[in-house]
Amino acid sequence: MSITRRGMIGTAAATLALPALAQPRYPARPVQVIVPWGAGGGTDATARIVAALLEKELGQPFNVVNRTGGSGVVGHAAIAGAQPDGYTIGMITVEIAMMHWQGLTELKPTSYTPLALMNEDPPGIQVNVSSPYQDIKALADAIKASPAGRFKASGTGQGGIWHLALAGWLGAMGLRADHVRWVPSNGAAPAMQDLAAGGLDLTTCSIPEARAMLDAGRARSLAIMAAERNPQFPNVPTLKEALGIDYRTGAWRGIAGPLNLPAEIARTLTASLEKVNRSGEFREFMANRGFGVLWADAAGFAAFMERADQSLGEAMRAAGLARA
Amino acid sequence: MHLSDRITGLFLALLGALAAWGGSRLPGVPGQEIGPAVFPMVVGIGLVLCGVMIAFGIGHSFEEEEVDEISKAPGLAAHLGRFRGAAALAPPALLLFYVFAADRLGFLLTAFVVVLAGSLAMGARFRLALPLAIAAPLLVHLVFYKLLRVPLPEGLLAAPWA
Amino acid sequence: MSQLLEAFRLVGAPDVLIAILASSIYGLVVGSLPGLSATMATALLVPVTFYLSPIAAVATIIAASAMAIFSGDIPGCLLRIPGTPASAAYTDEAYAMTRKGQAELALGAGLWFSAVGGIVGTLSLVLMAPLLAEMALSFSTFEYFWLAFLGLMCATLVARSSPIKAIASMLIGLLVSCIGIENPAGTPRFTFGITDLLGGIEPIPALVGVFAVSEVMRAMTLAEPPPMPRRKFGSILAGQWALTKRYQWPMWRGNIVGIIIGVLPGAGADMAAWVSYAMSKRFSREPEKFGTGHPEGLVEAGASNNASLASGWVPSLLFGIPGDTITAIAIGVLYMKGLNPGPTLFTERASSMYALYIIFILANIIMIPLGIAMIRIASLVLRAPRAAVMPVIVLLCAVGSFATGNNLFSVLLVGVFGVIGFVMERNGYPVAAMVLGIVMGTMVEQNFVTSLIKSDGDPLPFFERPVSAVLAAMTFAALLWPAGVWIARRLRRSAPAL
Repeated sequence: MSITRRGMIGTAAATLALPALAQPRYPARPVQVIVPWGAGGGTDATARIVAALLEKELGQPFNVVNRTGGSGVVGHAAIAGAQPDGYTIGMITVEIAMMHWQGLTELKPTSYTPLALMNEDPPGIQVNVSSPYQDIKALADAIKASPAGRFKASGTGQGGIWHLALAGWLGAMGLRADHVRWVPSNGAAPAMQDLAAGGLDLTTCSIPEARAMLDAGRARSLAIMAAERNPQFPNVPTLKEALGIDYRTGAWRGIAGPLNLPAEIARTLTASLEKVNRSGEFREFMANRGFGVLWADAAGFAAFMERADQSLGEAMRAAGLARA
Repeated sequence: MHLSDRITGLFLALLGALAAWGGSRLPGVPGQEIGPAVFPMVVGIGLVLCGVMIAFGIGHSFEEEEVDEISKAPGLAAHLGRFRGAAALAPPALLLFYVFAADRLGFLLTAFVVVLAGSLAMGARFRLALPLAIAAPLLVHLVFYKLLRVPLPEGLLAAPWA
Repeated sequence: MSQLLEAFRLVGAPDVLIAILASSIYGLVVGSLPGLSATMATALLVPVTFYLSPIAAVATIIAASAMAIFSGDIPGCLLRIPGTPASAAYTDEAYAMTRKGQAELALGAGLWFSAVGGIVGTLSLVLMAPLLAEMALSFSTFEYFWLAFLGLMCATLVARSSPIKAIASMLIGLLVSCIGIENPAGTPRFTFGITDLLGGIEPIPALVGVFAVSEVMRAMTLAEPPPMPRRKFGSILAGQWALTKRYQWPMWRGNIVGIIIGVLPGAGADMAAWVSYAMSKRFSREPEKFGTGHPEGLVEAGASNNASLASGWVPSLLFGIPGDTITAIAIGVLYMKGLNPGPTLFTERASSMYALYIIFILANIIMIPLGIAMIRIASLVLRAPRAAVMPVIVLLCAVGSFATGNNLFSVLLVGVFGVIGFVMERNGYPVAAMVLGIVMGTMVEQNFVTSLIKSDGDPLPFFERPVSAVLAAMTFAALLWPAGVWIARRLRRSAPAL
């Protein structure tokens, strides 16, 4: 063959090979991570550390974008409605399994492609440091003996996850869901403040949220509604240990994308998220805040959310909070 | 639009009545005696009272009226003549345009239109409006997109540094 | 002692100093641009803090927010467009001073007394943090209700002309605050099926709309005001010492009220500015001068809102309880950097605490030279053609409200409130009172309802608890005072006829 023909065959072969070589590896450009809650909060902080570590894993910037509004509906809707090309994902939280029961939106956990479950924070039961109830048994007995509505609890707004936690715990003890009167608050911090000021009998927010007051010696945590003790707070027994009631729940956060995400991209993300979850940096960050680390891959996350959706729906109906 | 106290007072009373009515239709919540209906109703009734008092001239305001000189009004207002008051609607209209166009046209083009239209409506010459409409969006985009990492939509025209 | 030295070393690190300087300039610039707000400025800093060392990260938040709260006074004074809800309390007064040709005095007062307030507030933080924290913790929902109510009453005390129209404006604001799901019952109210309304109306888009957009709208129909005589802005600080000597009592009153209000979580700089301005008018020897361009109110309110900023860090640092959005963001950053709020911050990490105090004081000191520079630059705006400034303001309104939540709906809100504000002002309804209603509405309702839940429907605790009783008495006094004065005047007038 003359040089020209060899050259031509070579060029032709190379041209045919180009498409395969030119296929960009995901991710080829920056990825947006939508967070349905405000800057500086717990969900925002968790999302930011995950995004930073994903950036290190995959080599492209993962930019956190706060899409607030509608008590979380706007952000969750933004994630569900984004282009399923893998360049917009988001952090979804337990509220996605609650909002549709309240009739606030049509979105459910099944409106997403789940990628990974990253964290769960179980609620604790906190009392003022000078409360007459020094342990959970004393408190539980007092609640049972009291007339309905005498005890007052708080931790979040009406129908929020900690409200449901209280309702569920009361139900597990054989009491009505509203045996303890719920005083709605704008989040855990004001509730803890009111607890310290003597305005409440107990709070059922998560222990990390109560931490500052606990450390300051203004409040005490009597129990945690989880399967195991939180290593950051080893002196707080679980409900099972102390009362024999195996009731547990929690607020969780995970990463998800819109429906119909290409399988290849989903696999890449889940694998990277697993590395992030198991990394020392992530664990150290979460431990510092006292957040609980959990891991579930895409299928595990989907099953987890399905269970949560069912049990939260039941709890909301029992508490009279469901509207749909 | 300077309306008489009677009109604004009656409008307020109407608003208050609607608020109270709307509030009263809200369902109560178990465990809360003072439900979501109470606050709107109280505020609504307060508005009705105030509105009625104002309509009867009790809340007479002492502000001097601003004399509008048609001849000296800027740009758009001068063109509209009798309807010069409508020129005031330009800024909200531009904001509305921004809401609907930003995602489709992208930030740079939308902002260009907003600034150009805005400054022309204020009576600026083209030789001021045009360079301003080119420079301002670029500067704002640079600061917000590059420096502060705000995701301004790209649309049809992407910035050179995006 | 060694902790203190360690603190100086921490602050002296080059990255911290650069962070303070850069974020101060950032805060000043953002706060003084109409359409952008201090809250937006702080929220946008969060991604930046990720890459900074702990002390540098917190330093940026402290410096930026302190600067932005002051520089929100600048557009308020020069253009009648306040940069923050706190500045809205005295915008009309400051603008009146500008019209009288006393812009430098107004801005200088804002700057000087903000710095003074900030430093006094920081001193209170340093010396009295535990005491202030005790006070804050003794406030339960009953006390908060009266406090919020008192804050609302300030709208009427401040009204220039018609008190009834001011009350009506405030009620409109309260109605706006009803919208959404953020009520004690968790029931969506007045959302008309619009998802974006579920979260309610944020005060910032409303503020931007009602002041900035409506001001631009006004500019569309009015002739260009006669150009201010082209003279160089005189020294900003000259005359401040005279003001300090003349209005000593108002200044100290403002500082103290600011510190107390700031310490209470939920009651922030906005409320402090309003309450102090109202108190200034109520206790002044020349109340008739208020509203015509009189610096006394600016002295007291300016000191108050910066003092409240500093003392607002007390519940944040000690208990992780945010006083407002900005401190909520700051707490988030503290956690992210391992400086967990709580007693450990004062014991194990005392050097970091001292470093924070030093940064506060440093920020308030450099506020003066930087602020002067900012004021001079801003005054150039007065010389620029209106047709260039106004459209850019509209653009900034759009981008600023979009940037905080990345939601175009906020931009729509800004436009809507622009129209509302325009119509209201045209008919003599003070819009600042409406903004106050929006800001305070949730606080009033939330505390009222939760208090009644806790007392099982019994209204007595509202009057029995000691602090509640005092606040209730003050509220009723504020309510009945104008009525009492009116009655007394009528009696005096009709007496001679008898």
